[in-house]
Amino acid sequence: MDADIVQAARGLLNPRSQRWKIVALVAMASCAVALAVGVLVHRSTFDRSMAIGRERAQNALGPVVDQYRRTGVADPLSVQDPDAMPPALLRQDLEQVGFWYDDRRPDIPWMWAAESVDGHVIAVQMEMGSELRSLQALDRHIVEASLAVLAVVVPLAALAAEPPNRRLRRVARTARRIADGDLDARIGTAGRARDEITDISSAVDSMAGALQERLLTEQRFTADVAHELRTPLMGLITASELLPESEATDLVRDRVQVLRTLVENLLEISRLDAGAESADHAVVPLDQVVEESVRRLGLQARLTVTGDPVADTDPRRLDRIVANLVANAHRHGRPPVEVAVDGTTIVIRDHGPGFPGELLADGPQRFRTGAAERGHGHGLGLTIALGQARVIGAELTFRNAPDGGAVAVLRLRGRTRPEG
Amino acid sequence: MSDLVATSGPSAPVTVLLVEDDEVIRKTVGMALERYGYAVTSAGDGLTGLELFRDGRHDLLLLDVMLPGLDGIGLCRRVRESSLVPILMMSARGDSLDVVSGLEAGADDYVAKPVDTAVLVARIRSLLRRATFSAAAEEPPKPGAGLIFGDLTIDTDGLEVFRDGEQVALAPTELRLLLEFAANPGIVLDRQTLLRNVWDYGWDGDSRVVDLCVQRLRKKIGAERIETVRGFGYKLRR
Repeated sequence: MDADIVQAARGLLNPRSQRWKIVALVAMASCAVALAVGVLVHRSTFDRSMAIGRERAQNALGPVVDQYRRTGVADPLSVQDPDAMPPALLRQDLEQVGFWYDDRRPDIPWMWAAESVDGHVIAVQMEMGSELRSLQALDRHIVEASLAVLAVVVPLAALAAEPPNRRLRRVARTARRIADGDLDARIGTAGRARDEITDISSAVDSMAGALQERLLTEQRFTADVAHELRTPLMGLITASELLPESEATDLVRDRVQVLRTLVENLLEISRLDAGAESADHAVVPLDQVVEESVRRLGLQARLTVTGDPVADTDPRRLDRIVANLVANAHRHGRPPVEVAVDGTTIVIRDHGPGFPGELLADGPQRFRTGAAERGHGHGLGLTIALGQARVIGAELTFRNAPDGGAVAVLRLRGRTRPEG
Repeated sequence: MSDLVATSGPSAPVTVLLVEDDEVIRKTVGMALERYGYAVTSAGDGLTGLELFRDGRHDLLLLDVMLPGLDGIGLCRRVRESSLVPILMMSARGDSLDVVSGLEAGADDYVAKPVDTAVLVARIRSLLRRATFSAAAEEPPKPGAGLIFGDLTIDTDGLEVFRDGEQVALAPTELRLLLEFAANPGIVLDRQTLLRNVWDYGWDGDSRVVDLCVQRLRKKIGAERIETVRGFGYKLRR
């Protein structure tokens, strides 16, 4: 739950998150619309005020021209000096009324109208300041309205981006859970309209389903193989125990035992490979588990214990790991085999030639043992130890001691005893 | 741990009913157990096994999980309807489904095939010890004849358990587990301790055996009586 909040907060602050991209897009679209509308309104209002200005100037010029035609005297309010007129106005063909919008002084624009009467140009000018000011006010209102709209639309977009964001986060979370081994995890798309997120959700769900199906098939197959192999093997083992004691019987029993170990190891590896194994944790005294494991193995090993080691681990799997490592030390190394338990670290070493370089470089490989030892074991013991260590969350490393001998170091996840 | 040999007087050999479909295993296990002094009756399928069980008296049932017709789990459930006889399951598949459903059906313990005769006999002895441990009266607890925990009364002499005055029928392992709890009331017992004291396992024991037996015991004596202490184990509520 807390992790969800932290993740949501991180998503909120991340500038690359989809939310902010959507918000930026919406803001840009709003601005573009506002700009286009603003320009159009500005232009049409300007054109209209020009038309009104021309009409007013023409209405003012008409009587002046009439009076001049009648009396030869121009109204003193009109302009007759061509030097006082804008040159652009004079360049026009003034046989008819010509207009000129004079914005040479930006704060006080004028609308000129002029007509030539018998070669004498008569002009009037109308002040257009109020039109200009109302146009400026209109522009200001458009900008203000656009800003107000942005102030509403941006938070709305941020909010509207949340549901798809949440669905995407759910997809990511579920995919991670599946990767962590929870194959029952599903996003669920029931009752949702079909969109890209539903598409990816159902794709992830069907991928998880296919994975689960394959894993189950593999597990079933492994279990069936186990059954088919173990049933005759058990008959063989029990029958060989019933044989009268003789040298031949010993040979049979020995080979039966080898066969049994091989079958069990292969089945264990296939279970580990299927990833179906999960640890069964308990807080246990490490020294006792290790001691019993060595004792049951029936092999010699010198056990040294430092302190009162306790670990939260799966004792059965730990037993397997220790037994495999000690057996391996006896098979490929030379005695004395030493087992040291210190805290949550278990070190098993022998005094033989050490691990082959291949193993140190690539880790244990099944059915690949050093050429010198071919015929002694199948290289499965260490593979299993490594696989089981992974299941219980422990770290198993192999190295050679400087003074000779193979050293296997098993580091369990630390945990101290809660009471005393 | 005194190595009590199953009471094998010539007058009353311990009888084992073996239900196993593989003919070689059935024959060889039967012969091996007979060498250890057990009287073995065997059946090749579940229904014959059930008939044999109903016809005669058996001290212990040794059941394979995969059987034609009525499988080992179904057979175990049918037997448990009327009897508290110790049941040991044998599973060759080794997947947890087999183990869990067998124990849920009421089996006391399981062994994975292939199993050495010595190991099989050790498991059988441990189970019989639980079934007959009133006779082998050297086990704890002995604090008094009647222990009372809420509505639960345990008669440690007659080995009878009563809930609200009504007798509760407990299978030997369930009874042994309850007595282990009763000897340590209010104390948390971890799964490993229970595995060792009740099932005679070392660290290699499967703690699911404990969990499933506790589940069965709870159904019989009331779920709230045994408390789960997460990550550690269980304790009996006073």
